[in-house]
Formats: sequence, C-alpha cells, structure tokens
Amino acid sequence: MGALAIKNVTKSFGDTDILKGINIDIDAGQFLILVGPSGCGKSTLMNIIAGLEGPTSGEVHIGDRVVNNVAPKDRDIAMVFQSYALYPTMNVRQNIAFGLETRKVPKAEQDEIIARVAKMLQIEHLLGRKPSELSGGQRQRVAMGRALARNPKLFLFDEPLSNLDAKLRVEMRAEIKQLHQRLKTTIVYVTHDQIEAMTLGDRIAVMKDGVIQQFGSPQEIYDSPANLFVAGFIGSPSMNFIPCHIAEQGGVLGVALQGEGEPVFFALPERLNVQGRVGQAVILGLRPEQFDQADAGGVACRIRITEPTGPDTMLLSQLNGRDIIARVHPRHAPAAGELCSLVPDLRKAVLFDPETQTRIG
Amino acid sequence: MAEQGKFWRAVVYGSLLIAAVYYLLPLYVMLTTSVKSMEEIRAGNLLSLPLDITFAAWSKAWSTACTGVECTGLQPYFWNSVAMVVPAVAISTALGAVNGYVLSKWQFRGSEVVFAMILFGVFIPFQVLLLPMAQTLGLFGMANSITGLVFVHVVCGLASTTLFFRNYYVGIPDELIKAARLDGAGFWRIFFRIILPMSTPILTVTVIWQFTQIWNDFLFGVVFSSIDSRPITVGLNNLANTSTSVKEYNVDMAAALIAALPTIVVYVLAGKYFVRGLTAGAVKG
Repeated sequence: MGALAIKNVTKSFGDTDILKGINIDIDAGQFLILVGPSGCGKSTLMNIIAGLEGPTSGEVHIGDRVVNNVAPKDRDIAMVFQSYALYPTMNVRQNIAFGLETRKVPKAEQDEIIARVAKMLQIEHLLGRKPSELSGGQRQRVAMGRALARNPKLFLFDEPLSNLDAKLRVEMRAEIKQLHQRLKTTIVYVTHDQIEAMTLGDRIAVMKDGVIQQFGSPQEIYDSPANLFVAGFIGSPSMNFIPCHIAEQGGVLGVALQGEGEPVFFALPERLNVQGRVGQAVILGLRPEQFDQADAGGVACRIRITEPTGPDTMLLSQLNGRDIIARVHPRHAPAAGELCSLVPDLRKAVLFDPETQTRIG
Repeated sequence: MAEQGKFWRAVVYGSLLIAAVYYLLPLYVMLTTSVKSMEEIRAGNLLSLPLDITFAAWSKAWSTACTGVECTGLQPYFWNSVAMVVPAVAISTALGAVNGYVLSKWQFRGSEVVFAMILFGVFIPFQVLLLPMAQTLGLFGMANSITGLVFVHVVCGLASTTLFFRNYYVGIPDELIKAARLDGAGFWRIFFRIILPMSTPILTVTVIWQFTQIWNDFLFGVVFSSIDSRPITVGLNNLANTSTSVKEYNVDMAAALIAALPTIVVYVLAGKYFVRGLTAGAVKG
C-alpha cells in the first residue's frame, strides 16, 4: 500500500508558479529524496506534505487518507529541520517531551519513550542540557530524537545535514541510513546535495523549476538521465556534454571526436537507436569515469589541468571544442600540458537532443 | 611612539572625565542641596558639600509641601503615578508582545500594511492627539481618571512596544514555529511555551522603555487628569511653581529626586539587560 501519494499538486503565489503539477507515489518503508537546486520548489513541496502550506490544487495522500484539510499535527508525521529548530529555552528532555505533552501522552509513558529514543541515538547523557550547550552533531541527534519519539507514519527531513561540517555530514548520513534500515519507516528527505540523494535514496525525484525532471531509483537516474539537467545535476564531477553529429562510416553509426589532431570516429552501441538520425546534431553524454587511457585507438587530448583526488586523478581537457573531465587511475596520469590518448567507453554513453534537451538514446 | 600614545591616551581620558563631570554636576548639586538647610543654602555656595546633613527637605517634599492650595507633599501624586504606570506598562507590553508575535510569525494578507501603519504611530507627535483623545476619553467616561491615563498610555505606547517585539521576533527562526506546530501546539501554546521564554531581553527593554516614558510623561498627565488623578510629574511642577515667600531650593531638589527615583532604580536593576536586549539582534538556536 502506498505510504505517500502526491497527485497533481500545484502551488502558485500570485502569478508565480512554484510547483507545476507534481506526481509522486511511494510505498511504505521507502526513502524518497527530493533533490534540486535552490528555488526548484522542493522545500515548498515538503511544506505541503507537512501541511505547513496548502497546495493551490491537487491532493496529498498519507497512508490511505487525503490530508489536504488535515492540520499538520494530525497528519501523523514528524519533521527534522535544517536549523534543527530545537526549542532554545528547554533542555533536551523537554524538547523531546514537548510534542508528547501536547498530545497528552501520560507522564510514565513519556519517560519510557524518551529513555528509548535517547538510548537509540546515544544522547542519554545530554538529556539535561540546553541546545546551546550541544555541538552540531548532537543537536542533529536531538532533532531526530524529537521526531522519533512520536513514532509517526512519515518522517520528513528538510536538508538536515547542510549545517554540519563535511566529516560529520558523512557520519550522520550513514546513521540516518542505518536508522532507516532498522526502523523501516517511510522517509521524505529534501536536499540539494546530489551525493546525499544518491547514497540515501530508494527513490529520487529530481526537481527543477517546479517540475519533476525525473523520478526513479538512484541507479536509473545515474545511468539513464531523462534530460541534460538531470544528467548534469547528478554525479560529481558532472557528466561531460560533447556536441557531435551522427555519422556513418563503413555501415556503422557513430560520432567523431576531436581533441588535439584529426577527428577520430567511434561507433555508437546499437542500444542508442540512432538509425535515421545521420547528419543530425546531438549531445553525447559521457561520465568522467567512462574514459580510459590507452596507447592506441584513442583520441589525442592536450591535458590542461590535472586534479589528483587520491584514488583517482581528474584530467581536464577538451573534446570537440568543449571542456571535459576524465577520471583516470593516478598511476598512469599524464602531467598538465602533456598529450594523452583518451578512449571513450561508449557502452554506457547517452545522447541528448540539443533542441529539447531530452535524452534520445 | 610610546610617549605619543600616552599623551593621546591622557587627552582621551581627560576629555571623558570633563564630559562625565559636566553631566554629573547637576545631580551632585541636586543631591547636596536637597540635604542642606535653607540657612546653609543662603550662606554657602552651590558646589560646597553640606556641613550638616538633614533630611527635613525630603520629608517635607514627600508629605507636607504645598502644591497649589493643598499641602500634602508629593505623596499622593507618587501613588497616582504608580497606579497609572503599573497597569499601563503591563498592558502595553503584553499587547505589544502579542502584536509582534502575530506580525512576525503569523503573517496574514495585509499584515505588512498593518505593521507599516502601526509604525507610523511611532512618529506621530502626541500633541496632535490631545483633542481627539479628550473626546474619546469623554465618550468612554474615562476623562480625568487614572483609568483614562492608563488607556492613553497604552494606546500611545502600543506602536513602540509592537515595533520592539516584532523586530525581535523576526530574528527567531520560523522553523521553530513550524516544529512546534508539528508537535501539536497551537497559537497560544507556542506563544507561552516557546516564544515568551525566549523574550527576556526584549521584555526588559520594553518594560524599561515604557516605564520611563509613562512615568516621565507630563503632557498627558497635565491634560487628562483632575485633582485626584494627577501623576507625579504634574505634582512636581505644581510644587516647584507654588510661590511662597521664600523659594525652598532644598525641597524642590528633594522633590525632583523623588520624582526621578523610580526610573533610576529601574535602570540600575535592569540596565544590564537593557543594553543586552538592544544589541541582541538575533537569537541563536
């Protein structure tokens, strides 16, 4: 049974359309990510799910009921906010208890819940402290504890990790994932960070300009992005976009890539279905890891900059007049200014229509 | 270099000292004069220390000095002021807090316009209000009473108190309100449990501000009061202007100090919070 269904939800402020017909459906226990650049409408959508704002049209279902006219507190949801939104004048125990008190949970039961949640998140020793006496990571735990105490049907996370430093963010990310696996609750998680989206989500909705650009599993979105925006947004460093023309050589369809020298022809896999497009302009999408270094059969490229990251080295160069990044093994990496032969692995390549920006194969 | 630094430091401290003395001198004169006897005042000089400290002038100013035809001292006026200030400060502060809470955290269509109009009230010179306010008070049957004065001060203070609270609450993250709503709390519960406990600095600022404004007000006090509802500022004025054969400087000074004492006490007790509240722009989560 569906845990959350969003049907044709729109939101407008005056003439500005923030959301233009959103449809999402997830099952109980799934981890849904809403990801997109700022201003894409993801936080508005979150607020609509929480009931903090109403949609202009459309329906929100939580479980088996339509909640459009249900107050936030009666939606059986809990939310973790970007700023944690801990009540500054209350200590940790009171912060967790506040929601239980307003719901008239008996005192003994409150204590039991607080003890359980505190144990789960290892914040037992912090119960008497004020939020101002906690570190960022501890505040994050308390905010999660407050949400967990309610044992809701749906958890909402609004950019919960963006105020943490890089190291802590990775730790907390793993903890959230572990928590989800243990509790098997349904989670909706808003982020602008594509790595969080990829690592945490069962389902990802990539949003831009109030429209869902693509809705699918992380791997689907990574391997088969629906359009140029999704392809460029997910993955780091981003996918290379190389303008080409579909050509035919010896009965094989392919594209010509030119670095520092003559153009080299590469055959496209049949999967891409480009028959009848010969001569047409396309954009070839190649991820940085889809390049190999080889002595023969490659296209000669002048390396402008190298960026060693440790496990890999990024090579910045140009193909068909466009900047590209190739991710290669550091052992054989050339130095900046050198020529290097790069072999594109086109088995996983994707093609986009330069006009509509959508994927054609 | 070091010598030069010392020189300029001396110049700075020297000018600060002169400024401090300049401002403290009137207080010094008032204090010393108020504990001198009339003979000493007549004989001595203005700046000399009292030879023989006497509190007779204070006692007279408090209970027997004449303000016009009655000779009751400032005592009844003082209690009138207390009876006016306490409810006026409490009501205007409470309403300002709720106004500020609504205008910052529960914005409605047109709330910015309402706020702009309230803000306008801060800049209206009170003299403009005298006639319409007199009519309003008459209409409500509150003319010439302490209740009427409380009403006037609440209405006139509301603009400032709303402004103070609104600007303070704007700095409180909206996410706190959202979190509380999801926790099941409503308008008043959020106000009393979350917002008000965070408001100590701005409450202090507002109470001090309102207390000083209302206690020191002369205009409304003189216009909207009758014999038995006059506040201390009017009493002081009458006391100082009542002409007897001799001008009793010591009584006048004692009376002025009595009138100023409550505001001084409030500043001493809460001044620390006053500065802190004025500078506390944002609240850290």
